Amino acid sequence: MHNPIATAVQVLATLGMFGQEDSLGWIFQLIWILVFVAFMFYGQRIQITIMLKEIEGSLHKLRLMRNRGRGIAIANIKELGKPNEDPTNRVDRFLEHVDIGPVSLDPVGIIQRLEHIIDVRDIRFKDEVRTMAPEADETQMINLTNVLEAAMALNQIYKIIRHFYLQGKKTLSIYIVMQLQMIMPLVMKQTLALANALRAFTLGHPIGDGVGALVAAKLMHGSEKREIAKDIIVSDVTVEGRKAYVLKAKGPGGNLGKPGEAIKQILEENEGKISMAILIDAQQKLEGENPGDVSEGIGVAIGGPGVEKYKVEEIATKYKVPLNAVLIKEDIGDAISTMRKEIIDGAEIAVERIKQLIREKTKEGDTVIIAGIGNTMGIGQ
Amino acid sequence: MGKPAQRIPAARRISSFFMILVFVMLILSVAAMYQVIEAYRSAETLDFTNIVLSLSAIAISVYMLLQLRAKPLKLGFEMQEVSTAIECQKCDYENTREFKRGDFIFKRVEQCPKCDEDTIISSIYRKPEEKEKKKEKPRF
Repeated sequence: MHNPIATAVQVLATLGMFGQEDSLGWIFQLIWILVFVAFMFYGQRIQITIMLKEIEGSLHKLRLMRNRGRGIAIANIKELGKPNEDPTNRVDRFLEHVDIGPVSLDPVGIIQRLEHIIDVRDIRFKDEVRTMAPEADETQMINLTNVLEAAMALNQIYKIIRHFYLQGKKTLSIYIVMQLQMIMPLVMKQTLALANALRAFTLGHPIGDGVGALVAAKLMHGSEKREIAKDIIVSDVTVEGRKAYVLKAKGPGGNLGKPGEAIKQILEENEGKISMAILIDAQQKLEGENPGDVSEGIGVAIGGPGVEKYKVEEIATKYKVPLNAVLIKEDIGDAISTMRKEIIDGAEIAVERIKQLIREKTKEGDTVIIAGIGNTMGIGQ
Repeated sequence: MGKPAQRIPAARRISSFFMILVFVMLILSVAAMYQVIEAYRSAETLDFTNIVLSLSAIAISVYMLLQLRAKPLKLGFEMQEVSTAIECQKCDYENTREFKRGDFIFKRVEQCPKCDEDTIISSIYRKPEEKEKKKEKPRF
């Protein structure tokens, strides 16, 4: 039995089409042409497949993170809350929670409507956690709420990415797949930060976002405190010979409180006779900047949905109170994970900057407001 | 609580097709190398192109196999080293210990061994990993 290919090559060789030595070259040429044609017609399909594989890898990681987050939340509730029944079903229901924002078609009163929705959400979350973890104390309950919120965020990120991945796979649209592939590194960075946050929340560590509250705590430590607004405490202290109302959220539970409401109340109590308000908060640093660096500016340094910021802007405009900001730089990941040493050092620098600002911009005997903004988890007063 | 998250995270998902591909590449490159040696034994001539190609293929496939058995997936739930700094408000006593559950900044803790006053937690912080430190040293 003769090998047909060898016979064909021999026949062609005798016909003088090509010699034995050239046959390999022809085969390679043919392979190249086939590859070229395949890429011409299926290039985009191959590219989509490669990108989908890459997204699939990240999606797998997101799913593991979501499951681990859920597991940690359930274990934490069982440990601290000692519930009578298994909280798994309730946690699963909680993870699917949806917030519906106010209608913006008619923007009149949107801030008040948004505030109402945020309040309802807050009450609802605390009620849920109280039911799930009846034995948890107040601080643990607030921290558990934070844990569940982080687990909820992990679940939502996973589901959204999975949605676009499946949509891209179904439609084979390079535009959907490419957009998803491009944002994946940022999504993964944020998700990793959330996973770190969840770990910090379960143990009650102070987080980077709480640096504003830490600065206020340093200034008010050892003096009398009173609750002035929801979850906000204020202390009257003397700083550089001026009367200062220092306020922060009530710690050590993971509270944010309503600092805008508190500032409004202080300004109204004093009939607007406040020389200056200083707000201290964490600022997202740009790549290349150092965490813990301190910068200054003007305006209301309050993040979030904007309700508290609006209240301060409104009341400060009414009484013409100058608004100053002292900001401590940190990465998005640092903001929700356990506080770093550099940020602790940044808080010390911020205290000195506040004192300098007060000395330079006000006179002795004046009254100022110093508001430390941020999540006060792991920070007492 | 920390225990569940301390477990090693689920392994990296590796495509079996990719594994087979790497193994086939390794076997083929070893076979090519064997052929080169056989050719040298019989004809006493060295085919340098083949040697370079098969050695590179062996190196790439070994590298890929080593990569496949790399560290387990990092999910971000790993325990970090967190320290609690304690100081006395009266004297200069300072101490740093590992974070304990229930610690918070400005919490009154044990008595000062020097002056018997209550000490307070002055700060709680994590130490950045070596990888993080390296990342944060930009050239510009």
